[in-house]
Amino acid sequence: MAKPRNPFEVTFAVWNALFLREALRRLFDMRAAWLWLLLEPVLHIAFIAYVFKAIRMRTVGGMDIAMWIIVGLLCFFLFRRTGIQVMRAVDGNKSMFTYRQVKPFDAAIVRAGLEAFLMSIVAIVILSAATLMGYTTLPDDPLLVLTAAFGLWLCGLGFGLVASVSMRLVPELEHIFTILMTPLYLISSVMFPLTAVAEPYRSWLLLNPIAHGLELARAGFSDYYHAVPGVSLSYLYTFATVLILLGLLLYRRFHLRLVMK
Amino acid sequence: MIVVDNVHKRYHTGHGPGPWVLRGVSLTIPPHVNVGLIGANGAGKSTLLRIIGGEDQPNKGRVERRCRVSWPMGQGGLESSLTGRQNAKLVCRVHGHQADLTDRVAFVRDFSELGEYFDQPVRTYSSGMRSRLQFALSLAFDFDVYISDEVTAAGDAAFRKKAAEAFKAMANRAGLIMVSHDEGTLKQFCQAGIWIHEGKAHWFDDIDDALKAYKESISK
Repeated sequence: MAKPRNPFEVTFAVWNALFLREALRRLFDMRAAWLWLLLEPVLHIAFIAYVFKAIRMRTVGGMDIAMWIIVGLLCFFLFRRTGIQVMRAVDGNKSMFTYRQVKPFDAAIVRAGLEAFLMSIVAIVILSAATLMGYTTLPDDPLLVLTAAFGLWLCGLGFGLVASVSMRLVPELEHIFTILMTPLYLISSVMFPLTAVAEPYRSWLLLNPIAHGLELARAGFSDYYHAVPGVSLSYLYTFATVLILLGLLLYRRFHLRLVMK
Repeated sequence: MIVVDNVHKRYHTGHGPGPWVLRGVSLTIPPHVNVGLIGANGAGKSTLLRIIGGEDQPNKGRVERRCRVSWPMGQGGLESSLTGRQNAKLVCRVHGHQADLTDRVAFVRDFSELGEYFDQPVRTYSSGMRSRLQFALSLAFDFDVYISDEVTAAGDAAFRKKAAEAFKAMANRAGLIMVSHDEGTLKQFCQAGIWIHEGKAHWFDDIDDALKAYKESISK
């Protein structure tokens, strides 16, 4: 009788297998799917930068406008892509659940890991291109940038976990979650500096943890950047932790519902 | 050995939970015994089989597998955007065969006889080609217990003959739990029988006794 594998071996084997499969899907699913992964943020950056240059706005809070947009957009895309991919992870891997080794949570965590990996590559490519164009792209405080980005990634994972289970319980919620991403884009200071918003409305907008992550990443890039007062790393991480714990709870409670026929 | 302990199962219908299909099934299936599941349509044979295979979960109770149990033979999931080869690799990796991946993929390629279609996306396959790939995948691993739901194999006559021989060899080597409505098949492969009736399972050491009990229940 073959020796049974221990649970860790099984889980890592599954993660390895799913990671390779998801990478194939993400990069080669459609014609030049990998190109669009890169082009989507590039086009966003180019368009917003063009608009700002057209209205003669060169800096935001002491940071060059191009860098301000690049950092903000890359961070926002890290959150949004992770969130949306994790949200659809269970549906996208349905055929794999006939193999009992594959659990819904495996699909979710693998997709989150893959998005982090792909976004790092996209970020490196875009930042290198910006360097060649003469912008200062080396962060003054790399650790703060990484911490902020990691917090945003955790938020994305947490959002995806919660969303994927609630979507299964109430299918209509999928539309709401997808629609939610657009206003989130507008209020997270991706293209509109929160410093331009007057109190008390700014404090309301600062309830959104994504704005905290973006501002902190920018502050990490440039020591001279005046971030919106009141941003805090602990708020971002508290929010992410709560979301992830809630997501894990929902997975624990409803994991049968996710795969059961 | 597989221990099934007090398994209850019902499905969700469009109008809330449906009736109980399995109502407290407790069994111990010893190793190296081939078992046939017998019962009327809708008695819960396939349901029990899927729960034993871990593809579906019981609402209550639990299943303990103290050996390597296959997924329902010929019903493994395929990812339609991937090629046959990529699917084979994926399933090998899930089952922890990273080291001897090449050999197993070669086996799947040769057994399924898909030729150059092996490197085409599965969504381009005909249903016969799909089931050939699925059957080859099931045979590519050394499970202690195989589970099989009605299907031995699809495909053309030559492939069916080859598949039936492989199935026989497998049934002699490892344990088998199967569902079939064909008495001949059950008698050929199985020693013991489980009769599923009104949500309960009854174990018979001899498949003939199980068939007798089943027939008596329908003649009433």
